[in-house]
Amino acid sequence: MTTTQHLIRFLLLAGFAMLIVYLFRTGDMTLFIAPKMELLVKLSAIGLYAAAIYQLYAALKARRKSHAADCDCDHQHSSSRTKNIFVYSLFILPLTLGFLTPTGTLGSALAAKKGMSFTGNEMISRSATETSSDPVSLSTKGSSGNNNDNTLDELFPYDEYTVDHARLAKQLYEQPLIVVPEGRFIETLTALDLYRDAFMGKEIEISGFIYREEEMGEDRMAISRFAMNCCSADALPYGLLTTWPKANEYAEDDWVKGTGKLSISNYMGNEILTVELTKIERIPAPASPYVYPDLEFGF
Amino acid sequence: MRTTLFRIGTPALAIGCLIMIFLIATNRELPAVAWNVILNPANFQSFKILFISIILEAFPFILLGILFSALLQVFVTDEMIRRMMPRNPVAGVLVGGLLGIFFPLCECGMIPVVRRLIRKGMPAYIGIVYLLAGPIVNPIVFSSTFMAFRTSPEIAYARMIAAFVIAVLIGLLLSRFMKQSPLRTDGRHAAKGVAHFHHENNVRVHDHLQSNPHLHNTIDFKKGRIRSKISSTMSHASEEFFEMGQYLLIGALLTAVIQTVVGRDVLVGFAGEPMFAYPFMMAFAFILSICSTSDAFIAASFNGIFQPGPLLAFLVFGPMVDFKNTLMLMSTFKLRIVALLIALTAVLTVAATLIAEVIL
Repeated sequence: MTTTQHLIRFLLLAGFAMLIVYLFRTGDMTLFIAPKMELLVKLSAIGLYAAAIYQLYAALKARRKSHAADCDCDHQHSSSRTKNIFVYSLFILPLTLGFLTPTGTLGSALAAKKGMSFTGNEMISRSATETSSDPVSLSTKGSSGNNNDNTLDELFPYDEYTVDHARLAKQLYEQPLIVVPEGRFIETLTALDLYRDAFMGKEIEISGFIYREEEMGEDRMAISRFAMNCCSADALPYGLLTTWPKANEYAEDDWVKGTGKLSISNYMGNEILTVELTKIERIPAPASPYVYPDLEFGF
Repeated sequence: MRTTLFRIGTPALAIGCLIMIFLIATNRELPAVAWNVILNPANFQSFKILFISIILEAFPFILLGILFSALLQVFVTDEMIRRMMPRNPVAGVLVGGLLGIFFPLCECGMIPVVRRLIRKGMPAYIGIVYLLAGPIVNPIVFSSTFMAFRTSPEIAYARMIAAFVIAVLIGLLLSRFMKQSPLRTDGRHAAKGVAHFHHENNVRVHDHLQSNPHLHNTIDFKKGRIRSKISSTMSHASEEFFEMGQYLLIGALLTAVIQTVVGRDVLVGFAGEPMFAYPFMMAFAFILSICSTSDAFIAASFNGIFQPGPLLAFLVFGPMVDFKNTLMLMSTFKLRIVALLIALTAVLTVAATLIAEVIL
């Protein structure tokens, strides 16, 4: 391998290491990967730096020995040039994109492709609980407390799989205004959808970006967030359908905070949990546009 | 080296064409329109974020795999590997299937390690079993699947068992019928007598030109000082980084394009027909190429749309064979073997998940 090739490799490796540092410095890293991955990515930057330094060292060494290198390996230079250009430009592409183009956030365009969920986590959906065995029996057995608890348990029947969501739902139910928190965005939407009958008419506040489908018409839109597990390739959009008379004044991907009453509306043949907005305001996009599943939820 | 270009270029082009055909068939749009879709600002943002995030997420794992593989190369002799491997193919295959529990690497990190192990004398079928089962049968993936499918834990168990059974069956078949080395270059330079097609041979040629006392034979290995061992490790690691990296980048690029362009609604159209649901979920897993530690959450988001059988097919097939790692596999294994592996895995996945669907 020639000095030039070692130098190119040095530049590429150092480039990737610097891209990682750059993205952490500008705070844009949160757009690409979840917080739990950050340490690993930082460590990989160190690995890349080490490899870069090795390439520099090898380049210097190859230069000293360049007369020897001429004899045995120049036969492949001409034939491999096309391949090398192809390979190295592949490595240059993400570097160029990362350093030179401004980073936006994932928004409606991708949400439409990935498929918006209006019901929280589909694993713990109402259909799932309806089919599971006799949800009420467990809860009535469990409640030997006072009257208040009994009525709450009747409102929020649970089985072994929905016990955590039932507990969250009870907490939410006691709040005069339910603010959908960033930390438990999906869990909260799931609990609301699961026990939607109990929450009818409750006040709720939710922030997110505007997402719209054609079928929503002029007075409906969704307020939504992307939920990410590891990286944005696995991010999925979750949101709540809302109604607002002048919904078309808000463009897709505008960030808003909406307050309103929970109800049900019919959307594309399904009964969907809906917020009838009474107040809506624009807000600046948050530092991290994503929400993350709460890994401690239920543990 | 020119042949290497064709080796990468031809399959890549073929896959590109297939994608175009898929787009034309599903959206009835011209390819030119697909390019417009990519160049529109919102889609460009999605593409950029997805592309870079896949690369960043894969980096730690691929680096870990490369480092592990380089350390194996420099510090573990072929003799040690040979002694550790069971003689009996059945025992070997079972060990290969469970190796992931002790060395939980994800699919991107695994390919360099397996290639190294096979070159160092591990029977190829055991390596392939590890390659197939490892990304699934490991504690990290089990816990993430368990978490994603909290309401139906049987999915997590079924995923582990199905993956293990499929990998072991493929391993047994290969141990009976695969006589030649499955690695791309092994037969090659023997046949042609030319060393330069192959990077490792290049490394050998160039490394000793670089005056470093080289460590490939055991005598040097014993004499080698720490410094030259480190240097040799780094040399192998950075060589492999570029070799594996190019496939990772092509995979990430195409995955990001597909995710940006193809909508889920196109895909969900297939859900109703059980005949289509299985191949569809497997094709979807193949296209998405997400790491096996997070794919369970994606699968969970399809619950309710799909039956457990197709979901399981997604969870089992995806980590074994996907777009990104097929490209990486092609860098390592002969094309025939890769095609055979994909076909066998697909057939066995359908069979295993159909059985699981009946049991669950």
